[in-house]
Amino acid sequence: MRNSPPSHHRGRSLLLAGALAALSACTSKETPVGGGATGGTVVIDAPSDPSTLFPPLISEEVGRWIQDLVFDRLAQIGPTMVTVGDKGFTPELAKAWTWAPDSLSIAFSIDPRARWHDGQPVTAKDVRYSFQLFTDPKVGSSSASTLTNVDSVSVRDSLTAVVWFKKRSPEQFYDAVYQIIVMPEHVYGKVPMDQLRTSPVTRTPIGSGRFRFSKWDVGQRIELLADTANYRGRAKLDRLLIVPADPQTQVARVLSGEADVMEAFPSDQTAKLDSSKVAAAVIWPTLGYAFIGMNLHAGATSAPHPIFGDARVRRALSMAVDRQAMLTNVFGKLGLLSHGPFAAGFGLADTTIQLPPFDTTAAKALLDSAGWKAATPGAIRTKNGKPLQFAVMAPSSSVPRRQYAVLIQAALRRVGAQVDIQIVDPRSVMYPKMNSGDFDAVINAFNPDPSITGTAQYWATGAAPPNGQNYLRYANRDVDALLDSAAKSFDPAKAKQYASRAYKDIAADAPAIWLYDYVLVNAVNRRIDTAPFRVDGWWVNLPDWSIPQDKRIERDRIGLAPAKP
Amino acid sequence: MRRLAARLLQSLIVVVIVTTISFFVIHAAPGDPFAYDSANITQAVREHWRHQFGYDRPLLEQYARYVVSVLHGQLGYSFQYGEPVTVAIRDAVPRTLLLAGLSLGLSFLIGITVGVLQAVHRDGWFDRASSAVLLVFYSLPDFWLALSALMLFAYVWRVLPPGHIVDPVMHDYMSGWAALADRLKHMILPVGSLTLLTTAGIARYQRAAMLDILPADYVRTARAKGLPERRVVWRHALRTALTPLVTMLGVLFPAILGGALFVERVFSWPGMGSLAANAIGARDYDLVTATVVVGSIMVVVGNFLADILQMLLDPRIRE
Repeated sequence: MRNSPPSHHRGRSLLLAGALAALSACTSKETPVGGGATGGTVVIDAPSDPSTLFPPLISEEVGRWIQDLVFDRLAQIGPTMVTVGDKGFTPELAKAWTWAPDSLSIAFSIDPRARWHDGQPVTAKDVRYSFQLFTDPKVGSSSASTLTNVDSVSVRDSLTAVVWFKKRSPEQFYDAVYQIIVMPEHVYGKVPMDQLRTSPVTRTPIGSGRFRFSKWDVGQRIELLADTANYRGRAKLDRLLIVPADPQTQVARVLSGEADVMEAFPSDQTAKLDSSKVAAAVIWPTLGYAFIGMNLHAGATSAPHPIFGDARVRRALSMAVDRQAMLTNVFGKLGLLSHGPFAAGFGLADTTIQLPPFDTTAAKALLDSAGWKAATPGAIRTKNGKPLQFAVMAPSSSVPRRQYAVLIQAALRRVGAQVDIQIVDPRSVMYPKMNSGDFDAVINAFNPDPSITGTAQYWATGAAPPNGQNYLRYANRDVDALLDSAAKSFDPAKAKQYASRAYKDIAADAPAIWLYDYVLVNAVNRRIDTAPFRVDGWWVNLPDWSIPQDKRIERDRIGLAPAKP
Repeated sequence: MRRLAARLLQSLIVVVIVTTISFFVIHAAPGDPFAYDSANITQAVREHWRHQFGYDRPLLEQYARYVVSVLHGQLGYSFQYGEPVTVAIRDAVPRTLLLAGLSLGLSFLIGITVGVLQAVHRDGWFDRASSAVLLVFYSLPDFWLALSALMLFAYVWRVLPPGHIVDPVMHDYMSGWAALADRLKHMILPVGSLTLLTTAGIARYQRAAMLDILPADYVRTARAKGLPERRVVWRHALRTALTPLVTMLGVLFPAILGGALFVERVFSWPGMGSLAANAIGARDYDLVTATVVVGSIMVVVGNFLADILQMLLDPRIRE
């Protein structure tokens, strides 16, 4: 699903300013962490076990939960979510930093109180080693491509690491502090780089975060315990248990109180949360958005698609869809209408972009003018003897997108277009077809990084497969230039202007019908006081979750005592 | 003995064929372990990973390497679980055997009892009522039954835990008896679901077998000798009527393993079924192949044991 926290790179912009505040406004259960007493156990259901607990190779979300709780970064994006410069960042492992006069290096002072969970001090050498881990091809980290602007890391003294850059960029600080998870050299350095992937040492991570890894019983649970002597303060909870379970089992578990948190509660069952005395819905607006994308080319060729190659047809189809009605139909009150190729929570979002309005009369007229005519009212339109008929893929794994497929089919039928729905397995059918260009239209969702390069990953000409995720093979040189200018701007306001112009151009080209912002409903047990959910990961503030004394149940009283032998 | 040896050889050939087919089928499926959609993973990184694990080599070479590694006792590496396949399988097999074994035992116990009673009280109220109930369970899809049981007992009535083999939080802190009770409580729904699914078939089969046997001459003779009806039915008639059911054991074992796949999934039971389902979804090649191999070995062994049992029960086969 989503790929948070942000993990991309150069030139990326910017601000998610205000996003957090917006989030807080949306959450239905945002009681500030209260009390002073620590304790409690939170059971989080997960769709599966993580495939690895080795940060350079973590690519799926459950692994990120554990990574972000067990390990630290040099600094963390602050509450304002500003990613340009260093103003928006808060210290984590680095208690302070100093820029070189030419801005080509930053000296980070490691907090002398910081300790690894095995008691060893965190040193500058660990920072240097971590940079090597994330960039050495023998390790094969997916984050290596995000660190191309970092030239090297040197050690000035045991508590000062200097990060050297190849060139100045608006987000060089973000690159250095956010892309590198600091890991202990004395633990991982014993294993050759090319053997780390399969080394047992990666299954028992030792970090410096506010939770420490305790144990992993595959298929049953992963246990994290509060690091009681942590330099950033003890986590308020005693322990977190991450339990893999089938989604339907998760529903029963969270509603019965066996589990405390379920991410992405099924959208078609949220009424159960409304009536539940055990669990409540907590909205998590993400950086993702969903749309029906139209392939602009015929199959894998460079020839225009016989239907979608014409911008008038794309606009007409957009105008035939009542997006607001569909949103209500699928999500009830919990949906957020999409405003274009970005989520509203994105720092560079421009929610004033004009999208084609819902107007079936105008849609029909536009199709007529594009040569797609109906022989009789209500008939399927044809052009040069070919019917206005195409297939729409939707992933079998997504209930909302399957529902949208049916609604879109009915909506487009009203303007004389025949949609054939293909519900397919995403991994074995949908992504291979999207990569090869062998499809007509697809109901897809993007989960970009919190930067303008996140947008470019999906909409820039150069991001067509295999270089990126521009599966529709949308190409507009103006858009490319605007996205590039936004990414290279040191001024957040200007970056926003460039991005906004790019969005307008994309919206005018109508390569997609923008359906909804990706909003997940998490089910959280009512006895828990949560901290605000961040757009880049609802789990990031888990150390600040708490359970009031009077609401604690049996499992909250275990404390940190070891289990029976 | 010769028959047993031949059966063993046949079983070995079956396992080899199944291994080969599963290896090529999973490799023929679209995608690979590193093909998942992620904007952050570049093509170069994917290629590096494929090269690291030899997935860029010709398929026949990969197969040859796999066979060699299996012969050395190595079943490969699981990307899904980040550990050697042998470790993942080692933990999962006993759990599945426990689930399948208990369900099979209970199904036979209940199925045989019900089948005999149905035959003895042919066309009576018990026969009709139990036939109707069993037919309902016989017709239900396994995942539907498991899901319904989960929702009813774990969510609506909240009398049983919704999945897992033990309470993931409290089990380690329980005393001996409480821990045992916890384990048993977690077994009720998955074992019960699997048992219900198979009991119906066994009962119907047993009923038919008993109806064939009850009019037999030797049963009539036993009655004529004045033996109590209970003894006639449960000792004389049932013993003969059990022989065809032993054949069914060999057929049922694969079926129950197949059913376990769904039941384990629904109840988050970390056995072979869960392992296989996750592995297939993640294109975890080595783990998929290993689960198929181990599954086929279980089936072959199950059939083999059924053969032996049949020989023990039926002197004609021994001869």
